Amino acid sequence: MLDHIAKRLKDKAGRIREYEVIETGDGDMEMGRAGGFMPTHIYGPEYEHAMRLKEQLLQEYRDKSLEEVIPGETISNDRGTCYYIQHKHDISIQKADLEKSRQVICSNLKLIYGIGEVRERELKQQGYHTIDDLVRHPRWRDEAGKFLDTFESRNAGTLHDLLWRRLPRSDPLLLYLAGIYDKNDLIMFDIETMGLFGRPIILLGIARQKRRRINTYQYLLRDIPDEPGALWEFVSHIEENTALITFNGRSFDIPYVEERLGFYGLNASIEKPHFDVLHFARRAFRGRVPDCRLVTLERYLLGIERKDDVPGVLVPEFYETYLKTRNPGLLIPIIEHNRQDLITLSRLFSRLYDVWEDA
Amino acid sequence: MPNRFFQNIKRQEWYEQQIEHIEEIPAREPRYGKLDRPLPDTLQGYLDREGIQLYSHQADAINSIRRGKNVIITTPTASGKTIAFNIPVFEALLKDEDATALYIYPTKALTNDQLHVLRTMERRMGIRPISNVYDGDTPQHARQGIRRASRIILSNPYGLHQYIPWHHKWKSFFQHLKFIIIDEAHMYRGVFGSNVAMLVRRILRICEYYGSNPQFILSSATIANPEEHSRKLTGRDFVVISNDGSIRERKFFIFWNPPFIDIGKMVRRSPHQETKNLFVFHIKNRLQTICFTVSRQMAELITRWSRDELGNVRDRITTYRAGYLPGERRDIERRLRVRELLGVVSTNALELGIDIGSLDAVIISGYPGTIISTWQQAGRAGRGYKDSLVTLIAFEDPLDQYFMKHPDEFFGRPHEYAIIDLENPYIVMGHLICASAELPVKEEDEKYFNLFEESLMALEQQDMVRKTPNGWIYSGIARPVDIVNLNNISDKIVTIINDGKILETMDLPKAYDEAHRGAVLLHQGETYLVEDLDLENLTARAIRRDVDYYTEPRRTVSIRIINTEAHQERGMGIDIDVGEVEVTEWYHSYVLKTYDRVIGKQPLGLPPLNFQTVGMWITIPGDIEEKVRERGLDFEGGIHAIEHAMIAMTPLYAMCDRWDVGGISSPMHADTQKPTIFIYDSYEGGIGISERIYDLFERLLNATLRLIQDCGCDKGCPSCIYSPKCGNENRPLNKEAAIFILREIIDNIRLD
Repeated sequence: MLDHIAKRLKDKAGRIREYEVIETGDGDMEMGRAGGFMPTHIYGPEYEHAMRLKEQLLQEYRDKSLEEVIPGETISNDRGTCYYIQHKHDISIQKADLEKSRQVICSNLKLIYGIGEVRERELKQQGYHTIDDLVRHPRWRDEAGKFLDTFESRNAGTLHDLLWRRLPRSDPLLLYLAGIYDKNDLIMFDIETMGLFGRPIILLGIARQKRRRINTYQYLLRDIPDEPGALWEFVSHIEENTALITFNGRSFDIPYVEERLGFYGLNASIEKPHFDVLHFARRAFRGRVPDCRLVTLERYLLGIERKDDVPGVLVPEFYETYLKTRNPGLLIPIIEHNRQDLITLSRLFSRLYDVWEDA
Repeated sequence: MPNRFFQNIKRQEWYEQQIEHIEEIPAREPRYGKLDRPLPDTLQGYLDREGIQLYSHQADAINSIRRGKNVIITTPTASGKTIAFNIPVFEALLKDEDATALYIYPTKALTNDQLHVLRTMERRMGIRPISNVYDGDTPQHARQGIRRASRIILSNPYGLHQYIPWHHKWKSFFQHLKFIIIDEAHMYRGVFGSNVAMLVRRILRICEYYGSNPQFILSSATIANPEEHSRKLTGRDFVVISNDGSIRERKFFIFWNPPFIDIGKMVRRSPHQETKNLFVFHIKNRLQTICFTVSRQMAELITRWSRDELGNVRDRITTYRAGYLPGERRDIERRLRVRELLGVVSTNALELGIDIGSLDAVIISGYPGTIISTWQQAGRAGRGYKDSLVTLIAFEDPLDQYFMKHPDEFFGRPHEYAIIDLENPYIVMGHLICASAELPVKEEDEKYFNLFEESLMALEQQDMVRKTPNGWIYSGIARPVDIVNLNNISDKIVTIINDGKILETMDLPKAYDEAHRGAVLLHQGETYLVEDLDLENLTARAIRRDVDYYTEPRRTVSIRIINTEAHQERGMGIDIDVGEVEVTEWYHSYVLKTYDRVIGKQPLGLPPLNFQTVGMWITIPGDIEEKVRERGLDFEGGIHAIEHAMIAMTPLYAMCDRWDVGGISSPMHADTQKPTIFIYDSYEGGIGISERIYDLFERLLNATLRLIQDCGCDKGCPSCIYSPKCGNENRPLNKEAAIFILREIIDNIRLD
């Protein structure tokens, strides 16, 4: 009887699809929805295409091993094992340098507690253009001094907090904060999971600049027991001065990783200053793109069309099939998808900087 | 007041000996208690300023709680239970700056009420607010702050079910959790209760992980099994505090039975008429009264009829129903307080939290289903300083009539057992997968879950969990908290939709009963008509409609014994068994009825319902059958009648509806090869009712005999052996045979 019940629970789980298949005629673009970044629906044609791809892969890579199909190696650490895939890419991050970021940030007087729109205008008219100038002002000199000290200390965390509190999430000024970091302190990451929370992360991908190129480091679960090992590898990248860059990480990737860390009792936190490119992108590119899904931004701003991609919402199914059949072909598009997401993330981050510089 | 009042009633033209019984509940002086050691000044000062002197049961509770015991307080409503737990909780939290407490309420409305109470206490004690509600209504931006800084969190089971997977966000709260308070604990029974019991275990597991071991304080209405219930709900042992020391005014409780209006003595006058007559009488005698009725429609009707007879006080009564805006409610509350309103007619679904205060009298139209609810409604009468009056008007229903004839059963020791089943595999496995997504499941977790090993194996087979060096972890494709619903068991859950919104959800078998096409559905006192039941998509569409009839489905049942779990041979070939059974129910039609007659019948084309559950059965030896036939009585009619009556009486012992169990009688059952009466749980996997009946079957048989024997009818009626659900049109039924058979069984069992 218990087997029967377990099966029923599983069937029920299967019926709760976390996405909707929309049968529109020809997959026309959705209109930009306010919250439409979390792909919760997929168009008929996209879905069909992905299912065909699944079949193809199952055929082509039947009886092949993981190592044969995906170049990488098994690694281990204190918490477990996982499969490690590395790539180098001929691109680099563009961002403000320290001087530039200081200049831009300090010309925003509203960052001083007590100064709003009106007062800023007045002060600027009076000749106080930057926070440095305010050090001369009898009323604001203390506050200004404190602010500049924080800046000098390059205490990214404190500064980040300060700005986060005063500015809307998507304010370009936050992006200029990136200037206080070294390029290789910036960790871009993106995860692939078995669903919307409560289930294992199956792939953690990181992109970091090393010398002049961006490297991607991907930690894959060959099987579910690899999860703690993969999480630990990820966490080992996080250092004192790390700042994280994600696409929608605030709602998804970061809480997800923290949840899984908590699940295994891995005493680590990834609470670091964080730049969520989605928020910046919405503000910067609104009106120029039909929506802010990563693939859309990629298509419109970077001219990239992915081929044989697995849509994000279908990753869980592909991975499930892999687990059932042990056919590594199913993993190829997942890894590729993640890698491409990381590259695009890096390029978008750089692009934003360009866009706001030019403005 | 009382004697003159009763004499006046008896002089009314509509009085025809309806008063079956008047119970005088004497006034009682309060008994105060003493604490083992004094309270800190802040708390004692608070009590002094509020003029509160601790009653004996409050002092006992506080003493036990201070000693670290788990405590369940079962004194009646308005006996000051809230103080009994808030005081020791505050004491502990004031002493230990890090300590936290979790208060669980069954509904959001109650949570909000308790928050109000706590905040008032905080304010009057001059301490910083430390309590907050955290539930679906808590705005996103406030959540993090509440999680981090609140020391008392109030929530409900539905919310907690969703939040505990995020326990790492609650780390410091769980690390220092000192108390879990569960109020209205009697409400956690049946399917909901069994699910909440598992939820509590998941919470305890998380506490264990963070190193805390909270103490439980439960508050409950009076039930027959407080130790058992508290133990099953939490897994811990409890001290029971039940001796009420609070002050009590004198209360008169009238049992009112509408008179027979036909010669065959089978039909009684409409209780709605009786209700109206009594209500009008109360108002004319200037007794501020609340009247509880079975539906909003009835409430409106009674109000309207009453107005016709109230002359110049017609505007001083009103209906009250759920769904009023806060402003409208406050207006009614105010008008009651200043005695502008003399009477309120309400549905039974009166929100518990509403502040209408206490009135002079209560009229309860129709037994509310449990003794507990009856007392809760009765508790609305009584201002503490003068006599109060409660009248229970019986419907033509076995339990109603049983109490009318046997008031001692109502006023005596508590009978009702709150039932929780920790072994229903659907429920246990559902929460096991939830647990596996909260923390990896390890061997030690066996103490929280029955059927541990087997369940994990079965789940692993289906790839729902994976065994890893860290333990079993969840690997299924949907979030477990989305798969597991606290109000249901099965995976087949029907969603009832009204006007594009979800009205309620129910298990498929219940939907067959209550939400088939054409059914009249009662929800929070309002009636709805079900237009369609879509079995493929598991949805039903209902529209709001005021109708003056109700519907009852008719079904035939067949049952197969799968295995016997326990067996008793009670002499003379009478066997009582309990075990797993397979039930098939065919719903073939439904009838439309007004209060007293059938006005129509419609076919139902539903596929048979087939499920496995737990049931108990009694086999009756050939000797008894022979004796019955020798007397020229209808044996089949006799056992059929016994089956109906037993089911009707089951709620007296196992807190449930009569709809939570089903039954079938057979003069020759295929599996037993003997005459057999079956009673089974109408829930897949069973919910503990049949098992309880198996334990208590002698008492149930005796009560059943009393019911049938003492019923005033001649040959059987809806108040004893007629069942609204009978698929055979209540045929054959034989009252005399039933009495004879029951007497034979009872006598022979006693012989043993």
